[in-house]
Amino acid sequence: MEVLSPRIRTVWIIVGVLISAVVGTAVGLAPTEEYIEAPLGVLVFVGLLVVLGFYQFLRYRNWGFEVQEDAVYIEHGVLVRVKKVVPFVRIQHIDSRRGPVERATGLATLVIYTAGSRGADVSIPGLKPERADELREKLRELAIENEESIEDAV
Amino acid sequence: MAPEVSKLHPVSVLYRTVRQLGRISFVVFLFFFGGTDVIEQFSAVVVGIFAVVVGFIIVLIWQVAYYQRFEYEITDDTFDIRSGVISRRNRQIPLRRIQNVDVTENVLHRLLGIAQVNIETAGGNQSEANLRYVGEDTARQIQRDVRRRKRELSGEEVTEVEGDEEEAGQKLYEISGKELVLLSTFSIDFRLVAFAFFILSFVPPERFEEFVGFPIDVSAVPVIVLGLFIAVVLWIIGFGTSFSRYYGFVLRRVDDTLGYERGLFNRYSGSIPLDKIQTYTLSENVLKRRFGYSTLGVETAGYSPTQSSQQGSETAVPFAKKDRVMRLAVKIGNVEKPEFTLPPKRARRRYAVRYTLILGALAGVLYLADLFTSPPEWYLPLFALPLAPVAAHLKWRNRGYYLGDDYVATRNGFWNRKTAMLPYYRVQNIIESSTVLQRRWRIATVTVDTAGSSGLRDDEARAVDVGFDDAEMIREEVRGKLQESLVKRRAEVLRERRETEGTWLDTVARESPEARERNEDDTENDDGAERKDT
Repeated sequence: MEVLSPRIRTVWIIVGVLISAVVGTAVGLAPTEEYIEAPLGVLVFVGLLVVLGFYQFLRYRNWGFEVQEDAVYIEHGVLVRVKKVVPFVRIQHIDSRRGPVERATGLATLVIYTAGSRGADVSIPGLKPERADELREKLRELAIENEESIEDAV
Repeated sequence: MAPEVSKLHPVSVLYRTVRQLGRISFVVFLFFFGGTDVIEQFSAVVVGIFAVVVGFIIVLIWQVAYYQRFEYEITDDTFDIRSGVISRRNRQIPLRRIQNVDVTENVLHRLLGIAQVNIETAGGNQSEANLRYVGEDTARQIQRDVRRRKRELSGEEVTEVEGDEEEAGQKLYEISGKELVLLSTFSIDFRLVAFAFFILSFVPPERFEEFVGFPIDVSAVPVIVLGLFIAVVLWIIGFGTSFSRYYGFVLRRVDDTLGYERGLFNRYSGSIPLDKIQTYTLSENVLKRRFGYSTLGVETAGYSPTQSSQQGSETAVPFAKKDRVMRLAVKIGNVEKPEFTLPPKRARRRYAVRYTLILGALAGVLYLADLFTSPPEWYLPLFALPLAPVAAHLKWRNRGYYLGDDYVATRNGFWNRKTAMLPYYRVQNIIESSTVLQRRWRIATVTVDTAGSSGLRDDEARAVDVGFDDAEMIREEVRGKLQESLVKRRAEVLRERRETEGTWLDTVARESPEARERNEDDTENDDGAERKDT
């Protein structure tokens, strides 16, 4: 099972810090009647940070994928554990994507599209750009190869 | 056959005018009668009528022009439509791409003898073109023509049928009077009734007078009476809807498409290409199950004949005895009769625990509310506790999964049980998921996903709450069977291709001059080949 680039952890944790900061500030500034508000905000911030930090740690630990003989296998999820099997024959197209955050951190996301009603957005985040491109090429070849061997069988 | 240019039905001009006017006059009336203070009442009416008359003439002229400028034509390989009064539009739809021609008529259309024709193509969730409106017979004729031309194009032998083409298709199912009445009778949505009862049980009895207007003593009886009343009303609505919807339902098979017709007031006819069907579903609510009836639906990919919000789900057999429904499913799609494996017993325990907790929580909430207001007795929900194990058992009993040779099937739901059956070669991907709570019971849910028009379906194939080992087994089994079935299908396609090529080569060989000479001596061989062709 291939793991994501450890750098994605940093991104996720920064996101966690930002969320905690925003919520903490909002709570801290909320008008209450009597006592000083700041400690409550700080408390929320710290609490959220711990929870989210733990969550992101688990999230990273649970993420894994593998290019197997007939399909891409993906495992992820903390509260809801998900195991997905995307057969090569069903791959319609593959994107490697780099948003602003991803460019800044030197990461990329691979998105695999199928015609499935809910599996249309199978994405693998936190890949090194070279690895994402490599995977994209490999999957493209595998998809075409399988397409040729099993034609007309939609 | 010489292509001929056709026009819409003349009555459509009038119909469209009145319809459009109806929309416009609404605005006009709002405008004129909105502020009555400004103009005198009398003059307002005159102006209003005048505006409507002028509007009518303008719209009529426009519609006549539309009619004059609208032409359609079925050529050898396209369906052409030329339309537009000011900006012209010329549309050619290749017949090959047309999936089907649907005919819709509402009550007014039927009185006027006109029908709307929708031309559907693969891909895209909108009609490729509409004809509003043509004569009823013309609509059927268009359906027939397109179907025949398509067959001619695909090089298939055209079996010319004299008279009504309706007979050309093989009639698979026709709803009988008894079935229609039973179907309508059983069409009550129990969830609504249960919900109505549930809500009612929270209304304090002394409030009934305000709500209903008839004075009833404070007791438990009126709750039940009122509940029954609501149930009856809901039932009558359900009855009427189903009755008019499925009146005269006929399912036919014409070549590789299923065609259906239905409706009492609004008449629909549509078709479903067999190779677009992803999933077959059986829906059986409690009553249907009790009396051994079932409903067969088909789920198509990215395409819905009626374009309703049904998410590409179409009823193939609205109501019939279960074994007949299964036979039809076998006939249509070679569906395998599933034999279900139930989820593990611990899933049942889980439901019992869940229902108990829900009832407990409800009582708790009511108890807390009791401190501030005076709602009904807080302990009422606790009386339902003995029902929790029963409900859990029923929920558990009606779940299940089946892995066959060619089909995978799943089943869920007590009030309205849905069974989804799909061939392995339709599988798009497989998703196994388990929530925190599910993991505590070591169970998981496996969803077998197919190509679909939308993700908002409640009849997708989901093996819910199966044990961890089973979940993994299902995942791997479906995955393996998908590859197997694809290889099988590929072999079939190749064989078919080789066969068609074979006959083509035979024909060439037979018709070449040397072959003809040879065949004159060898007539027996020739006969053999001919027999094979026809």
